[in-house]
Order: sequence, then structure tokens, then C-alpha cells
Amino acid sequence: MIKFLNRRLKLGILTQNIEFDAEIKKIEKEIKDKVTKKFAGSLAIRMVDSGSCNACETECNALSNPYYNLERLGIYFVASPRHADVMLISGIMTFNMTPHVKEAYEQIPAPKWIITLGDCPAMESVFEKTYAIQAPISDHLKVTHHIQGCPPSPQTIIQGLLDFLRKI
Amino acid sequence: MRFIARYAKELEKSFEIVTVYENEIQKEKISKENPSIKTLAKKHPCAIWFERKMHDDFGIVIEDAFDARPLVHQERFPKNIHPLRKNFQEKKINEAPYVQYKYEAIKGDGVFQVAVGPIHAGIIEPGHFQFSQAGEEMLHLEVRHFYKNRGIEKMLEGKTLKEAKPIIERISGNESIAYQICWRDIALQASSQELSLSLQKRDAFLLELERIIHHLTDLGFIPNDAGFGTALAYASKLCEDARRKMQEFTGHRFGFGAINFENSYINIIETKEWLKNLHKSISYFKEWIIDIPSLWDRFDTTGKLHIKKAIKYDSVGVVARASGLSIDRRLTPFYLKHDFVMSNEISGDVSARFKLRLAEVFNSLTMMKNFLEEDSSKMKLQAPKDGEYMSFCESSIGELFMAIDIKDSKIERFFVRDPSFVNWQALHLMMYDDIIADFPLINKSCDLSYAGSDL
Repeated sequence: MIKFLNRRLKLGILTQNIEFDAEIKKIEKEIKDKVTKKFAGSLAIRMVDSGSCNACETECNALSNPYYNLERLGIYFVASPRHADVMLISGIMTFNMTPHVKEAYEQIPAPKWIITLGDCPAMESVFEKTYAIQAPISDHLKVTHHIQGCPPSPQTIIQGLLDFLRKI
Repeated sequence: MRFIARYAKELEKSFEIVTVYENEIQKEKISKENPSIKTLAKKHPCAIWFERKMHDDFGIVIEDAFDARPLVHQERFPKNIHPLRKNFQEKKINEAPYVQYKYEAIKGDGVFQVAVGPIHAGIIEPGHFQFSQAGEEMLHLEVRHFYKNRGIEKMLEGKTLKEAKPIIERISGNESIAYQICWRDIALQASSQELSLSLQKRDAFLLELERIIHHLTDLGFIPNDAGFGTALAYASKLCEDARRKMQEFTGHRFGFGAINFENSYINIIETKEWLKNLHKSISYFKEWIIDIPSLWDRFDTTGKLHIKKAIKYDSVGVVARASGLSIDRRLTPFYLKHDFVMSNEISGDVSARFKLRLAEVFNSLTMMKNFLEEDSSKMKLQAPKDGEYMSFCESSIGELFMAIDIKDSKIERFFVRDPSFVNWQALHLMMYDDIIADFPLINKSCDLSYAGSDL
């Protein structure tokens, strides 16, 4: 335990030590203010994969690593749609997932918003239309904001969340 | 004889069924009218998914199948549509009336079912797990996937190898480099060319980097699922560092587009230094985590896959090696020359898979150091010749198999078998001694891909 604490002290706080921090510093305050004002201090996101390659999910998981630590800005990923304000959808909306995505959306209490993540849900990725693909998601549900990228980097996702907060 | 894959293709007048074993490929032609085959599932249980998929894709009937339920086609999928047949060209299908799927369920006094998914509680891919429970104890589990089926096989038909590349590298994001290497080997076979040693080394370097990233993610998430979150914080930091390196080397955090027959400059001194530091950080991680008894209390004996079962179910990759099997596509002179060591564990439980990943990370670091070479050579790919091609690659999950038929320079049939496709079918065997609360831990310790197996 002592060994671990020692190392912990030596390493310091990573969130404060990255090159991209200067950029995030600027938007950090704005995100925090907006989350406080519009979502009473906590923005709860339910992430749903509608048929991605798992890269977008990996990048969302990376948002919780010590470099990005999204939770310090009051933004949380929650386990149930019933706890969520926002549904973050990745993936190309497969035929088999469509009814489940819609059902999850229905479970979110109003007011609610949809953000699409990555090129797939907007049908802008390299995948072409087949019988099993039902993207773009905007054909099925009302999308408030779209974050581009294949996959969007954690930095892009944070910026995208800020753009969403500015929009509503 | 280890069974690897079984798939069908449509020829002009017949269907051809290809069965791939470790040392043998069998081909069988069947008529298009009333197509039917005999099952292999009695000898190789994991053949059943291949055969059920064949039925959905082509309408081929498995005569003596004990399980004839649809696999890819779910409750609302229209009946009598077989999308991989050449005469099926629709881009849109309409939802059919809901037909209940009959789950494998154990019935009895006090036995109940627990349905989990397709949408899970974390940031994770969709898939369904149906448990039969006696109190906390798991009696049976049925894994049901293919929610993410995107119709990749159909999508790639009629494309050139070059056009198919961006799609193939995005089949499973975590194994992108491995998929690209399979594609590379097929492209080389098709143009009868050989890859220079330095390009081989660069590609192998990136494959090991991908493996390290994937293993580090798991080394964090497995303890996290046992309630030890600090390990996740530590490992995800290392994972992020490695991913940034991937960005530096390939211009993409997941290495999309990285395998392109072109070598670019890598700063060897800096990279060696980075590898050394990463080695140090992981050594520390190992020393620290080995010393947490409550964690190993959860890991030991949980999710045990016996070697006999691993053989019977033709398991591959990390799962097979943790149960004592020596299956690894890297067992070649090229890899052995660069210090590849087959890592093995024998206990087959969560702790075996965890320790195996640790050992593989160390071995990958050693190999990466040996693969480093200053080189900026390029290679031009000749036009592919028509034919049937197959290739293998050891991805971070296990053995990946890809087969592409080329006709008139276009892809006639694309088939890929992700290691997850067979390993998913062995997952239920790991449950019988454990309680349902252990399931996330066991599932994570195998870390199989949903996207890769659903296609």
C-alpha cells in the first residue's frame, strides 16, 4: 500500500499534465458552468451501441481514464436509460438493434436529447447500405447533435459535448 | 484435428460447402434445389453456429441438426430471405411480425431465467445472455448475439480488394491491425508477391502494439469487475499512452489504414526508451497486483475451462492458451527468430487468463524491440489474379481466419471467422461452478469481440 501511495504521489495528477490540457482548460469552465446551469450540476449520459466496430465505445471508455477524467466536469455515463438525460448513440443502426435502441430511448424520462457519435450513425462512414443497415439514425429518432470522427478522439468527444451544451 | 471454420458459397449451379480444419480443407458440392448437408456438431460442437448461420444466409438445411433455430436472423427478420444468395439484392427489408425465439432453458422447481441484454449496463457492445438459475448458481447460459450484424459479407461482394480494405479494417476496431494483416496476406497471394522483411517487421510491430493496447485494457477492466478500480485507473493510463503511440506511428489511434505496404520513419532510440519505460510500469503493476490477496480470491477457480472442453470446443487464442493448449499463429520461424515465446497457463480460470495476458504483454514488448528497424521502403502491389485465397493471423483475441474468392478482379465471396465466433460458444462451459455475480468477471476475462463475430 505504501509503495502504491509513493508511486501515486510521484506520478501526480495526470489530468493536469497533458499538452491538450491548455485547450481543455479553456472549455472546461464553460462545460462546468453549462452543466451546472442546464443540468443542475450533473449531466447523465446513457451510451448505446447500435452496431459499431467497438472503436467508439473504446474511446468513450477512454474518457474515464486519468488523462481525461470526464466526471470532474459533472458528466457521467449511467447504467440505465431511466437515469439518463442524454442518449449517446454510436454504430450504424443495424436491423437487429433498431427496436432495442428505440425501446431504450422510450425509457429515458423527458426532457431528453440524442447525440450521435462517430460517422456510422450519420451514414457517413465507409460502410455501405445493406439489407442489415438502417442508418442514418435521424430517420428513426430526433437527433440534437452529431459528433464526427471514425472514431472521434476523446478530445473531440469532449469538444462535441460542449457544442451540444451550447446548442440547447 | 482442430476444426477452424465452415462456410458456404454460391456457385453457378450449386452450393459449395467449405470445411476448414487445421491441416485439411474439405469441399463438398450440393445441389441448389433442396440444398442440405449433414451436421458436424456432433464431433465439433462449435460447428453449430457456422451451420445455423449457413441456414440463415443461404437457406441450406442441416438435416440432422439438434438445433435448427435461426442464428443471425432475429425475431423481426422476414422469413424465407437468404441475403447471401446472389439473387438477393435488396438494400432494405421490412420488419416482419414478431416471432418468439425459443431460448435454451432448464426448467424445474425453483429454477428461473435471467435475461441480460442486448443493451448492457456499461459502455459495451450489445449481445444477449440468458441464464437458467437455481438461486445464485448458474445452471446454464445461452449466448445469443448477432444484434450487430451489418451484412459485411454482402457489402464486400463486387468490390475490388483495394475498395474492400477500409471496410475490412473497421470490422472489429480492437483487432483492426490483425484484420488488415489477413487482408495483406490475401492481397499478396493474389498478386504472387512477397513482402520484404522490413515491411514484415513493421507490420508485426504494429500487431504487437495493438495486442498490448488490448491486453492493457483488459488488465485494468478485469480487476475493475472484481471491485478493484485502482487497477483500471493505472492500466487505462498505460493503455492511453500506448494508443497515443499508435497515433504517432500510424496517424490513427486504432491503426485504421496502417498496413499499406509503405514503411515510414520511426525514431528507434525514442521508441526503445518508451518500450523500456512501459516495461518498467507494467513490472510495477504486476508486482503490485500479485500482492492483493482479495483480488486473487475472486480470480482463482472462477470461470474454469477445462482443457478437455477447450479441445472439444476448438477454442483458440487467449482462452485456449490459458487452459493449457498451445495454439498460436505466431509459432513461425519469423516470430521465433524475434524471440516469440508461447505463453501458457494450465488452470483455465480467470486468474490464468489474467496472468497469461500479463506474460504476453512482456513478450510483445521484447518482440517489438526486435522488430524495430529504420526503413522507409515501399512496395507496389500488382493486380490480383482470380482465385480462392485464405489467410490466418493471431489477433489480440486469438486466431483470425479470412477467406476471399476473387472473380474478374472483384470479390466473389468474403468470409471471415473472428476468434470470438468459436470462443463465444465455449463461454457457457465456464459457468457451472460459479454464481451469476461472477459472470461479468468471467466474460471480461475472455474479452471477446461482438462486432467481429456478428459481422
